[in-house]
Amino acid sequence: MVSLSQRMRKLQTKLLAIRLGPGAAVLPKDVKRIHMRFGAKINGGHMGPRKFWRHELIRLKYHNPAVPMTVDQIRESQTPETEATMSIHFVSSENARQTSASETSSPAPTDSTTTRTQPSDTDPTERVETIDMKNRTNSEILQQLMQITRAAPVEPTEKDKEELQLLEEQSVRSERDSKQYAEHRARVKRERDLFEQGRNDSAMQTA
Amino acid sequence: MAIPSRYCSSCLSHLRLTAPAPTALALRPVPFLAQHPQPPQQKRHATTSTSARAAQFRSKNRDKDASAKKKKARSHFLQPDLKKAIQFSLVDAMRYLRAAEVGRPPTSAKYELHIRLRTVKNGPVVRNRMRLPHPIDTTMRIAVICPPDSAIAKTALASGAVIVGEETVFDAVKEGRIEFDRCLCHTDSLPKLSKSGVARILGPRGLMPSAKTNTVVKDVGTAVKGMVGASEYRERDGVVRMGVGQLGFSPEEVQRNIAAFIAMVKKDIGALADRVSKGVHEVVLSSTNGPGMSLSGEVRGKDSVDPRDVAVVN
Repeated sequence: MVSLSQRMRKLQTKLLAIRLGPGAAVLPKDVKRIHMRFGAKINGGHMGPRKFWRHELIRLKYHNPAVPMTVDQIRESQTPETEATMSIHFVSSENARQTSASETSSPAPTDSTTTRTQPSDTDPTERVETIDMKNRTNSEILQQLMQITRAAPVEPTEKDKEELQLLEEQSVRSERDSKQYAEHRARVKRERDLFEQGRNDSAMQTA
Repeated sequence: MAIPSRYCSSCLSHLRLTAPAPTALALRPVPFLAQHPQPPQQKRHATTSTSARAAQFRSKNRDKDASAKKKKARSHFLQPDLKKAIQFSLVDAMRYLRAAEVGRPPTSAKYELHIRLRTVKNGPVVRNRMRLPHPIDTTMRIAVICPPDSAIAKTALASGAVIVGEETVFDAVKEGRIEFDRCLCHTDSLPKLSKSGVARILGPRGLMPSAKTNTVVKDVGTAVKGMVGASEYRERDGVVRMGVGQLGFSPEEVQRNIAAFIAMVKKDIGALADRVSKGVHEVVLSSTNGPGMSLSGEVRGKDSVDPRDVAVVN
């Protein structure tokens, strides 16, 4: 088991990576849903979409927990014609019925495992914007998404900056220490080898 | 070549170990060749085994290097001071985990709970199976063979069975429509079942109810309940781990599952109380692809988002 401080440092790094960076943005209230559809394999221009999913979409989801974001990877018979699209679903206005009264709400239904038979009373999707993601890098996809949705980027707060700086200092320090200790270990090993050699030599002499 | 003194002293300690008696003789400078331990038979000839062991013990104690190398083994698992840990409320942790799991199928990614115990490294371990208030694996379909429209059928359906009946089930099976993964039979319906001739179809699939596999039961309700969505857990390396929810679960559902799981583990600890004392030290929530986050015990923190926002499927 690693020490607690090590564990917490690693966790802090991961959480900051989820919270801050490209893709950290708050979507306006009329975005109902984001859906990505692309090939499971990266050849044929499907690398950007996958990178977007693994990096930017995570941050977007953190800042918009109530907006459903789904990914559909086309696994069977991926051809050069296989599409790579992102569809962004909007409701008619920002006054649509929301999941809650909080800042992070969205006009999406919030049912998970309830066995309600009635359809949810959320507003239907009014228009769908699509982005062609094929042969585009993740940063290009993000740029277009920000343009279409007019999302507000999230800037790191003072506290976040402080934490980032601390982690940065820590990583510099740990690099220095590991170098230092590697040198120390090499020195000890050299001494031991020399000693071992001397022992063998003297054994040869007495024999 | 200068030889470090620590190597010399360890050589001497070797000599002392193997010499018949620790006298000044052993301290005489010896060529390096002689430092290998002598065969054990000679030691036994020279002195009784107990006194040899005592000499060994004494010389080891005198040799500081040797004693420093041999640390005393820890008997308990480490219990880190949680004051230094960053802890999260349930909603905060779920928000991070939902983000880490974005785009994954909501039924395949799961929340996991890790309960770290204050416990000794050896001895009895916590191990049990339980049914969570909101089971995770609900894909299992159970058929119960019992008279339809009876009280038995009602309890079976209430506890999670999907197909209930006698003749209807037999006919469906004979037609090749086997729409269940497990089959139970009420004791009173057993003669009808064996006469129906479905054994040929169900037998090879391992679905045929029999007393041997405990699938012919009187108390259908508890048997079905025990089968549907039951999960097993056991303590490994001082930690009890179990899946506590699908990704689409709302914070309330996850909370109920966690509470039930911890209560069950505490009960198991209580059952072991006469043999070993254990206690819950830390509770960590993680997910299939997400980081592990220590829980503070509260559902919602000061700056947490609305739980309804985290409850959105996907």
